Amino acid sequence: MKRTFGTDINKIRYQVYVEVAKAAFANQLEEKRDEIPYTIIPGRTPSYRCCVYREREIIRQRVRLAEGHAAEAGTENKNIVQVLPAACEGCPINRFSVTNNCQMCMAKKCLGACNFGAITFEQGRAHIDPKKCKECGKCAEACPYNAIADLMRPCKRSCPVDAITLDEDMIVVIDENKCISCGQCVINCPFGAISDKSFMVDVIKLINQGAKVYAMVAPAIEGQFGADVSVGMIRQAIKALGFTDMYEVSLGADFVSKNEAEELAEHLKEGKKMTTSCCPAFVNMIKKHFPQVLDNMSTTVSPMTATGRIIKAMDPEAVCVFIGPCIAKKGEVIDSITFGGADYALTYEELAGMFEAKEIDPADYDEELQQGSKMGKNFSVSGGVTACVLEVLKEENEDISVKVNKANGALECKKALMMLKLGRLPEDFIEGMACVGGCVNGPMMLNKSRTFMKDRNAQINKADDRTILENVAKYDELGINMTRGSVE
Amino acid sequence: MVVTICIGSSCHLKGSRDIISIFQRLVSMHGLSDQVELTGSFCMGQCEKGVCVKVDDELFSVTPATAESFFNKEILGRV
Repeated sequence: MKRTFGTDINKIRYQVYVEVAKAAFANQLEEKRDEIPYTIIPGRTPSYRCCVYREREIIRQRVRLAEGHAAEAGTENKNIVQVLPAACEGCPINRFSVTNNCQMCMAKKCLGACNFGAITFEQGRAHIDPKKCKECGKCAEACPYNAIADLMRPCKRSCPVDAITLDEDMIVVIDENKCISCGQCVINCPFGAISDKSFMVDVIKLINQGAKVYAMVAPAIEGQFGADVSVGMIRQAIKALGFTDMYEVSLGADFVSKNEAEELAEHLKEGKKMTTSCCPAFVNMIKKHFPQVLDNMSTTVSPMTATGRIIKAMDPEAVCVFIGPCIAKKGEVIDSITFGGADYALTYEELAGMFEAKEIDPADYDEELQQGSKMGKNFSVSGGVTACVLEVLKEENEDISVKVNKANGALECKKALMMLKLGRLPEDFIEGMACVGGCVNGPMMLNKSRTFMKDRNAQINKADDRTILENVAKYDELGINMTRGSVE
Repeated sequence: MVVTICIGSSCHLKGSRDIISIFQRLVSMHGLSDQVELTGSFCMGQCEKGVCVKVDDELFSVTPATAESFFNKEILGRV
């Protein structure tokens, strides 16, 4: 399958996954590890950086991440999102700088606005001394010509929780106590200097060892591998990789909808507000930045854990691997080892790398499959979780009116949680999704084409109209608990 | 107290999942769920010593057979 890439950064990340997956499937990672930088960056002419030696060092750091380690040996920490120091250009950006729009005016409001004496005039034109500038932004606000540009580093600008700082060499540093693993810095660094650790090699090794490894594909899957590639075809391709079987996480989403709807009804009767708990970056935001409202968070498991519990109820030997567009899910796996759900999490990008390594193309297969309801499949779209929860209340004939705050994207999540914390949230229910638009706009989506949502919806429209409760009832005999916490 | 259990493939094959369930059972038996947090970790790079378990920042090697005595000594001993 010929892949197209949004940027060359996506292409290089993909090439690294392909090469690492090839070596891991062949049980030759130890021998091949050192060759990978030369396979990807041959010759002596650099394409992106000062020299091929630096380009190869970046590949080495990417290989380490692909193997689940920190980019540099000896710098291990628990964070999923990691800096590739070799790839960080230390963007020498002074946050506020005067542009050619400066009209050399008489009022010089910028000068008056600066409390730190950072503004001087050279031949009539304003100049900001970066050593004195405290980045307060008053000068930019004051200029009537908008002549002062706010050029924040893209990594810092993209971070919704202010987790990014710079070291003395201007190299990016991520504060793991603040990072919510949303992945925004990963997709926004124009040099690809931030990336995520991977469980891919672990999963391949377990497949090679003959473990019963099950894939669980996130509800954003439809349309990921092409307009005409259905979930059933992807299942066959995943089985060809050596997985025992594949399940749709939209099935787990149906269980979550039922549990969460019942929980919401109880909360409302008690006059208590509630937030969703399915988006791991949103959950991290609550835990790390708004612990005061932890009590309001739904105690229902995520669809990932739900699906893992369903699979393990049917096959206790199962090793469950979530595959989705999300970086934060990897952290959820680590944080929820006692939940008895997912054992590992991969991204669609890593899955595509594994397909390429084994020369498997999902488009070559033919199968129809539907496990989740149509509603469950839309858990991955902003507003979709709410729609499911309200649908269950309707199916259960609960006559409740719910005022909903659809927090679409991390910034809206932050606002809603702040209001909840202050006791000033007018709504009863927060649907928190850290990615704008939902998981279908996740950082590790493969297909971000303009027609993606159309292709995806065309596939989902072919699915049958089973209701959420009908779908959940099929598994009643398994008697699965959908509450967060340890399973005994 | 944070107890980190490696869930890399090598430790997985040596029984990290069993160790997690044994610890879970003991944590709840001793009523320590507020004091002991069980969490996972990417490969700790010490596969030959697996299953790798970190208590606070100290690294230990545990097997499913030694998990209970390890818990009694290193975890109960520190709570």
